[in-house]
Amino acid sequence: MSGTDPTRELLPTADPAQTLAAVRRLLRPRRALALAGLATMTGATAVGLLTQPLLGHIVDLVADHRGPGALTLPAVLLVLVAVVQGATTALGRSLTARLGETVLAALREDFVERALRLPQQQLERAGSGDLTARVTGDVSRVAEAVRTALPELVRSALAIVLTLGALALLDWRFLLAALLAVPIQAATARWYLRRAVPLYASERIATGAQQQELLDTVGAAATIRTFRLEAAHTERVEQRSWAAVQITMRGVRLILGFYSRLHVAEYVGLAAVLLTGLLLVRDGSASIGVATAAALYFHSLFDPVNAALVLLDDMQSAGAGLARLVGVTDLADHQDPPLPSASGTDTDTDTAVEVTALGHAYAPGRPVLHGIDLTLRRGEQVALVGESGAGKSTLAALIAGIHSPTSGTVRLATALNDSDPHSLPVGLVTQEVHVFAGSLADDLRLARPDAGEPELRAALDKVGALAWAEALPEALRTVVGEGGHRLTPTQAQQLALARLILADPPVAVLDEATAEAGSAGALLLEAATAQALRGRTALIVAHRLSQAATADRIVVMDGGRIVESGTHDRLSSAGGRYADLWAAWSGTRTGTTH
Amino acid sequence: MRVSGRAVLGRAVSGEWRDVVTGAVLGAGHQAGEAMVPVLIGVVVDRAVARGSLTALLGWLVVLAAVYVGLSFSFRFGARAGERAAEQAGHRLRMDLVRRVLHPAGGAENGRLPGALATLATEDARRVGAVNTGLVFGISALMGLVVAAAVLLRTSLPLGLVVLLGTPAMTALGHLLSKPLEQRSETEQERAADASGVAADLVAGLRVLKGLGAVPAAVERYRRTSRDSLAATLRATRAQALQNGLVLALTGVFIAVIALVGGRLAAEGSISLGQLVSAVGLAMFLLGPLETLTWVNADLAQGRASARRIAEVLSAAPEITTAQPLPPATPVRGGLRLRGVGHGSLRGLDLDIAPGELLGVAVADPADATALIQCLARRQDPGTGAVELDGIPLTALDPAELRSLVLVAEHDADLFAGTLHDNVAAAADPSTDLAPITAAAGADEVAAALAQGYHTPVSERGRSLSGGQRQRMALARALAADREVLVLHDPTTAVDAVTEAAIADGLRTLRHGRTTVLITTSPALLAVADRVVLIEHGRVADTGPHLELIQRQSGYCAAVLA
Repeated sequence: MSGTDPTRELLPTADPAQTLAAVRRLLRPRRALALAGLATMTGATAVGLLTQPLLGHIVDLVADHRGPGALTLPAVLLVLVAVVQGATTALGRSLTARLGETVLAALREDFVERALRLPQQQLERAGSGDLTARVTGDVSRVAEAVRTALPELVRSALAIVLTLGALALLDWRFLLAALLAVPIQAATARWYLRRAVPLYASERIATGAQQQELLDTVGAAATIRTFRLEAAHTERVEQRSWAAVQITMRGVRLILGFYSRLHVAEYVGLAAVLLTGLLLVRDGSASIGVATAAALYFHSLFDPVNAALVLLDDMQSAGAGLARLVGVTDLADHQDPPLPSASGTDTDTDTAVEVTALGHAYAPGRPVLHGIDLTLRRGEQVALVGESGAGKSTLAALIAGIHSPTSGTVRLATALNDSDPHSLPVGLVTQEVHVFAGSLADDLRLARPDAGEPELRAALDKVGALAWAEALPEALRTVVGEGGHRLTPTQAQQLALARLILADPPVAVLDEATAEAGSAGALLLEAATAQALRGRTALIVAHRLSQAATADRIVVMDGGRIVESGTHDRLSSAGGRYADLWAAWSGTRTGTTH
Repeated sequence: MRVSGRAVLGRAVSGEWRDVVTGAVLGAGHQAGEAMVPVLIGVVVDRAVARGSLTALLGWLVVLAAVYVGLSFSFRFGARAGERAAEQAGHRLRMDLVRRVLHPAGGAENGRLPGALATLATEDARRVGAVNTGLVFGISALMGLVVAAAVLLRTSLPLGLVVLLGTPAMTALGHLLSKPLEQRSETEQERAADASGVAADLVAGLRVLKGLGAVPAAVERYRRTSRDSLAATLRATRAQALQNGLVLALTGVFIAVIALVGGRLAAEGSISLGQLVSAVGLAMFLLGPLETLTWVNADLAQGRASARRIAEVLSAAPEITTAQPLPPATPVRGGLRLRGVGHGSLRGLDLDIAPGELLGVAVADPADATALIQCLARRQDPGTGAVELDGIPLTALDPAELRSLVLVAEHDADLFAGTLHDNVAAAADPSTDLAPITAAAGADEVAAALAQGYHTPVSERGRSLSGGQRQRMALARALAADREVLVLHDPTTAVDAVTEAAIADGLRTLRHGRTTVLITTSPALLAVADRVVLIEHGRVADTGPHLELIQRQSGYCAAVLA
């Protein structure tokens, strides 16, 4: 495929309304757990607030000269408060953490599911680093917020409301004095949020870029060593990492400026409460003890107010992460193109695939396919040949339903998949060999999850892979893929063909499936391919003309069009494109060109 | 190089000691200021409110303002120093990890997914760095405790002693309680890394999944991994919640003890009511630093767990070792000699490659090719026998130096992020004229077919290009590196026959007079070689020109002609 979009386009981010709706949707089935968690946390906070009245009571008892013995009861009560508060806090935190973690697991699972169902081109434009950064960084940020910030917010809000109520009970004028701090706090919060939103956005971009660079570098480590580019690539990671550090430090400076402004609010409020106390004591409307209590109450507000306001930061950060997760999970409408429609009107039972007036362009104005008409008869094996860039892979991908065509249709015969509506109608094996990390059996089972060990062995045997598979350190349980046992390209391609046998589609599309293995394994793979295709309708993109020569029919493409179609014998003597290709190919075979 | 988790942690702190010390000193100042606020409230009540003196109030409010300015600024700059220490230590660890992974001797990637390594370099490096912030805040909190204790000791000796002896006991208990959390946290982090590694791996193989309609099965697999991760996390959070509750209860009991002791002293008349008020105020203040100490403890636990994981990678055994590197022969002539090499499927392979020769190596069994490439590239050293470059064993050459002389371009090489041009020029001398090289590799046609030509960006390690396009770009990059010895493994398998023949001619011309080894079964490439060697069953079975072998060697025909 030669369609490459130059611009990197990150996956979407949800707006606040969408994010909120998604949170509600996730919480609804866990309402009981949410209520239990909230109730327990409220209880824990309320019990904790008894500490101050009890301490005040001790002061009163001493002031009233009630003797040391009277202090035992409030002290015991203080211990009781501590024990109850500890127990309820442990329970409440455990409940809210369970709530948060299960919601998070559901969210990240939905997220990966949607991501895997995204159109291939969209994911490639975004880069896999964007996705990985979301599934690691964002998930852990949201988790941290859910585990610590949310319970803290509830506790702080309760503490603030109850303490302000207590201040008003002492004298309403104390409350007025305390509220003098509010305008400064409100202005500070506004000041902070205005700067924090764009800053966090760019921090996230910097972190995503760093993650992508790390993945690229670690994944290509062997190639980097080969070319002695260690220094250059280390430098690239260093730049990304340092940029991320710089932008994080900008965030730190912002939050610290925020605290400095809050210190001003604390001082103003405290001075006002002390002044009010003095004035109220002077005109006799309050006692010294009441004034003291008011000042201590206001002082005890510092922590919950700071905690609540600093949560703006955590919640902002978690909210941004959440929006990036929800942005993907909400993409329900943009799934893969529907599989080529199984046409009910097609009564010709001999036709397996019918391609009509098919055209495709990866980028507007740069079509790579023009008006392709092609019919595959049931059980027919058709080879697609042509020079690199002729549009063979694009046609293969369109027939396999990986992309939707820009124009024209691909139709599959209904009778092909009438036995099981969920079975795969068209299987595609490309030159890309990816061995999934995990056991060899798990890798194969991706194609058919319910396959038993005998079925796996049978599939491996058909592609000539059983011998080496059984010779692996732990046979089919051997961990393969990146980080596991490294398979040769030929083995990886045999695995791909074994997966095709397990998936068992009536139509198979092979896109240069023997190319990556290198020539040494090609013979082996051609035999394996023949086995894998037995009994299927097949379209084979072939660059080894020996493989094309054995097909039922050969279709030659050039410049996005079909230029020739026919059997090997007919085309090789027709003097057209194929005859040229065959001459070049067979010429080297006999050494006549050199 | 063995590195312990403790050493990783130690370096993360000592490397930033200036910021850590600055942060701790200023943070201590901040805590002292915070401790002074309740004391000053008591003083204001005593000296101004009780006496109804507005001037005294204004005077003490000025003092309070001065304390506020001090605590505010010391917090601002102290915390900044702490965060800077954390970020910079995290950055340095990240770079240490990257340097280890890219080290010429290799070995760090064995057994680890790229996604898991990336998580290690981001999340775990951040957690270890955050130990610096933890230290700054922890030391500050301790300082707050000391100031409060000093004031309390001046107020009353027994009360001060209760605080001074009680606090270390509390901290020790907190440390003890966070031990199980540390173990839980370790498994939690491993599971989380596993879950994200699986996600990254599935995304990397997405084309394969889509081709087989295996996306639902892949989703199911991720869901299972995520559930395992969830179960581990839930166990960890339960431990954490329990620890939180226990510490909170302990703290409350501690304050009750202070209130009881202080109350009794006041009731006996050994301290004044005002001193009781400030003692209670200070006891309330102590909650802050004590809570700080508990989260610092938890952060240190996470940091230790992460440091151990990082240390494992940093001290991963290298794939190859070079005891005393010898300098390569000067000038480099480019002669290669294999003597009885036994490695993988190779069985005592003997092979002489003359300087400047264009040698074709046809290999019947792909395993032989893999083993041969591993030895030539020094990705691994052969178990028996030796490979020599101009008479010097490769094992005696510094691997980085070796690779600047011998380039082994592997069949499945990745392209780098950047443009096509960046890739071709990646390892080339800046003065190299790339035009003849890209023409020889057929890469100029690739660029011509793309809208942005050589400025076309490469994404996903080259997956955005077709196999044939990718191979030609990789070949151009290998040729442009212009090494004395070039080993190419199956460079044209995804290229059509006409282009392949042109590339074979281009290769011969461009590499004229310099050692070039073509490990392939492509007749188009083997036909241009000076000499072809056939390897069967791990040994050289025959040697001669391509045409001659075609005519007389049936094994060769079977390997090369399909």
